[in-house]
Amino acid sequence: MTDATDLAERAGDRDPRIGLRAVSALRRLLEQLEAVQVRSARNQGWSWQEIAAELGVSRQAVHKKYGRQ
Amino acid sequence: MFERFTKDARAVVVGAVEHSERTGAETVGEEHLLLALLDREASRASFALASLGLTGERRESVERSLTEARRRGGLSRADADALSGLGIDLSEIVSRVEEAHGEGVLAPGRKTGGRRAKRRAFAEGAKGVVERSLRMAVARHDRRIGDEHFLLALTVRPGVPAEVLADHGVTYEKVMRVLYGDGGTAKAG
Repeated sequence: MTDATDLAERAGDRDPRIGLRAVSALRRLLEQLEAVQVRSARNQGWSWQEIAAELGVSRQAVHKKYGRQ
Repeated sequence: MFERFTKDARAVVVGAVEHSERTGAETVGEEHLLLALLDREASRASFALASLGLTGERRESVERSLTEARRRGGLSRADADALSGLGIDLSEIVSRVEEAHGEGVLAPGRKTGGRRAKRRAFAEGAKGVVERSLRMAVARHDRRIGDEHFLLALTVRPGVPAEVLADHGVTYEKVMRVLYGDGGTAKAG
């Protein structure tokens, strides 16, 4: 961990730009993480239904997003 | 629009597609446009880049920075800083995911499975660069879209290429100065 007070200070930063930037970065990171995990599950023989259940989305949604790329 | 591109601008588009193929990406991204720009010789963009010292080792450093950003899921250093403000260590996440799934798995635009796209499409960001280039050429009353317009567009759009270029001393203002001799106070387009 880096300096704890430094982190606490920044987490409480009121500048919306910093907060919004973090949200946007997190969203893009999440997309990549999801793609990695879906790929991994498919490679291990998981069905779209099983993947969708774990992600908490419909089978159609996950298949549409990753099925035909 | 393509017919208004100069020979060099067309070469950048073709080169970007090749870079995308080489890196195993599914789409052509902004970073591929930048890589293709770096390949040009005796063009207006290559003149600007060389004038700003982006040759040899500095050029390789740009390529390395782009590769690192890809490994971080296409996130810039500013993104990493913003995440660290939330207590999220991006490099730690990258190393753990790579440990489990292999090096470079977080790179965006990788094949997920299923059928491959017949034609390599331009990602939203890369389309944005081309559109911005067009607007910049129009604003400057340039009749053709050249590779220098691509370079200018890359420097103004927030994201990894602009950040990496700025880290290497290539900003909109500096490119404007070496190309047109002005500071480019108003950003066209």
